Amino acid sequence: MLNIKTVTIVGANGTMGASVAGIFASFGMAKVYLVSRSIEKSQKAVEKAVSSVRANSIRKRLIPKTYEDLEKCVEESDWVFESIAENIQLKKEINDRIAKVRKEGTIVSTGTSGLSVSKLKESYDEDGQKMYFGTHFFNPPYNLPLCELMATESSDESLKEELKKYLEIQLKRKVVVVKDAPAFLANRIGFQFLNEVAQLAENYKEEGGIDYIDSILGGFSGRGMKPLVTVDFVGLDIHKAIVDNLYDNTNDFCKDSFVMPEFVELLIAEGKLGRKSGQGFFKLEIDELGNKTKLVYDISSKRYRKAKRYQFDFATDMVKALREGEYETAMKVLKEDKSEPAQLCQYLTYKYVLYSLAVALEVAESYHDADIAMGYGFSWMPPLAWLEFVGGSGTFIADIQENKFFEDVKMTVDDMKVILDKAETSRIDGRRFFKAKY
Amino acid sequence: MSKVYILGGEQTDFERNWSKEGKSVMAMFKEVVEDGFAAANMNFSEIQELNKENKVAVYVGNFDGEQYVNQGHMGAFLTEVHPSFYGVPAARYEAACASGSIAIDSAMAKIESGAYDLAVVVGIEMMKTVDAKTGGDFLGTAAYYEKEAKGVSFPFPTIFGKLADELIKKYDLDVERFMNNLGKISAINYSNAKRNPKAQTRNWFMEEGQSCSRDVDTNNIVSGKLAISDCSQVTDGAVLVFLASEKYTKKYCNKNNIAIEDVPYIKGWGHRVAPFRFESKINDGSDSEYILPWTRQAVLDAYKRANLEVEDIDFFETHDCFTSSEYAAISSFGITAPGKEYEAIESGKISFEGKKPINPSGGLIGAGHPVGASGVRMILDLYKQLSGKAGEAQLDKPRNGLMLNIGGSATTNYVCIVGK
Repeated sequence: MLNIKTVTIVGANGTMGASVAGIFASFGMAKVYLVSRSIEKSQKAVEKAVSSVRANSIRKRLIPKTYEDLEKCVEESDWVFESIAENIQLKKEINDRIAKVRKEGTIVSTGTSGLSVSKLKESYDEDGQKMYFGTHFFNPPYNLPLCELMATESSDESLKEELKKYLEIQLKRKVVVVKDAPAFLANRIGFQFLNEVAQLAENYKEEGGIDYIDSILGGFSGRGMKPLVTVDFVGLDIHKAIVDNLYDNTNDFCKDSFVMPEFVELLIAEGKLGRKSGQGFFKLEIDELGNKTKLVYDISSKRYRKAKRYQFDFATDMVKALREGEYETAMKVLKEDKSEPAQLCQYLTYKYVLYSLAVALEVAESYHDADIAMGYGFSWMPPLAWLEFVGGSGTFIADIQENKFFEDVKMTVDDMKVILDKAETSRIDGRRFFKAKY
Repeated sequence: MSKVYILGGEQTDFERNWSKEGKSVMAMFKEVVEDGFAAANMNFSEIQELNKENKVAVYVGNFDGEQYVNQGHMGAFLTEVHPSFYGVPAARYEAACASGSIAIDSAMAKIESGAYDLAVVVGIEMMKTVDAKTGGDFLGTAAYYEKEAKGVSFPFPTIFGKLADELIKKYDLDVERFMNNLGKISAINYSNAKRNPKAQTRNWFMEEGQSCSRDVDTNNIVSGKLAISDCSQVTDGAVLVFLASEKYTKKYCNKNNIAIEDVPYIKGWGHRVAPFRFESKINDGSDSEYILPWTRQAVLDAYKRANLEVEDIDFFETHDCFTSSEYAAISSFGITAPGKEYEAIESGKISFEGKKPINPSGGLIGAGHPVGASGVRMILDLYKQLSGKAGEAQLDKPRNGLMLNIGGSATTNYVCIVGK
């Protein structure tokens, strides 16, 4: 096992920086330098780290520092984790500084969610490039244990394996080793789905738009949080950055689903970025008496209105079946109800499964990586588990043909079969991902 | 008299919050039956066959379904899971947190007597349907409610906080050292739970430094000297195990290609009820050198029936509803003399690598405590260890394991020794 005694977190004041510091100081038992622009910010980061793992005992291992001390911290560290803003120029400047003082044998990793790890490694000398990786954690890491590990062509292969082991055993992460591809694995799968849902909200704006579509894809469809609530939570600007990156840099059968819907662009332009800015897809209105009303952005009228509680027969029946643990019945309802909402739910589910496996084939080591990515990074039903619930590959293809799903998609049924035939039984118990609720 | 064998079973993932999943107790029954049958390679037609001759029965341990999920009569619930349970004798057994082992006790008696060949024992409790305070009040019915729980917020932490105080008093212990010992008990349980893929806290962070620092905002005092890290968990969970007669086990072994010598069986048991109120236990038991003399007696009874001594026991699953109850259990088992429990804690004897590991599963603190299911969970964990199925938590070829399951303030004490 790697012996990581001292870690430097660069950009520790950010949400990820602080909570990853918490992971290193708790499970990793490491001494952690938290570097940010001011000592006050770093002290705040220490508190964030402590509360993120709910343990005061780690405070003694968390040491607030500023950029003035960066060189000293790096010199002393076994691992430097860079978690600053997603800006290639800024990251280059920091990497140049780290590279100058990094002692031989120190691991450096970036927490980037979208930039090329191969590009970022260029600041380093030969030994530095050998020891440079991408380690993409998910927020909040104490609850979402996924970590995507990206090596470059210069990375030391045996170190990669040791790093994986360290992340899994010591830091209690669920690790997938993925290629240095746009948005890596989990976000590519997740944001394909999320943005297609946002597109559908626009297409169905007359039916109700945002809350209408979200109600079709509630907990009963295998997720903890509804998709557009998720986007609101992540931030519309972050959503856009990830989706635009995928549109520009991928070219697969789902490329069209990476076109940003107009209404989302509009909301971003108005600074309505989601929960963090008080309004986005949703807005919480609180009157003088403290009564809260959940409002939703109405795409047609461009105004906020009271959110509706849409009810659909298929969803109500699925919730009822799931409540009793009748998973097969729930699947039967999903497949046999031919109403438009039910068909949308089934279509999106099937596309999610197909796309997950296709992306895993392209950027990961196995289909199980897609399961790990979605289960532990998004708390969504893992794709292989979904495939089993709907009856396996053969049934899946038959359902696609029967419902004429994906006819507009640039992929033949034979291509789909090639992907699906290789599917194995999921190693994750999928039952817990189905919530018996809207 | 037939020996009573354990053929395996399964537990639900104690990390799950079934209320958050929106799922009912029915769903939990279904999943534990499905998983338990699969794990033991059993099928429903087997139940139907045995039932023709009236040779199979169902025993359900559940403490407080009426309050937590508004459902009583859970003994009859398996008929809702599958029609093969129609006509199968079944009942629900209750003895507070010892409900699970009381269900085992009843099943064992009928198998020993030859009345039944197979018993399906289920322990089940769904506790996250209510907030902590309401749940605490529900659990208060395991004490003398009117006198010990009514109007008290968190009655059981209060009682076991008193047990900590009484331990200090009785054995004249150094308070700081004692509290550090309790902190170590907690840390060991959390650490063991990391090896258990179904433990509630397997992904939580805990270390001795944290469990020994109390009255801080991440480890508030709950009652007396006990803090959150001294408490077991509020858990949703169910467990299913099969108990079987020697005759049936032989058939089962043939079918599954197992040697009967490798199948764990119940070697001995002890069941003693102490005075109901905690105060009576302490006052009326003050002549004993043991703080919980009735618990000790149940252990002695089990040793006697099994014709074994503490030296023969390779590991223990104890009822660590609080760190103070595990502390008292150490001498009850005979691992140390009463008053010298700290020796086994400080020397590492009860840790996973030690000579007498306690709770390799993580126990109630680490693995979780769905109250009516815990006794069944303990016997399943004994089975897993003894049959080499404990995965990462596997100890080196244990021969005998002992479980202690208690109800109330160590009022119902149930001990079971399982071995090969």
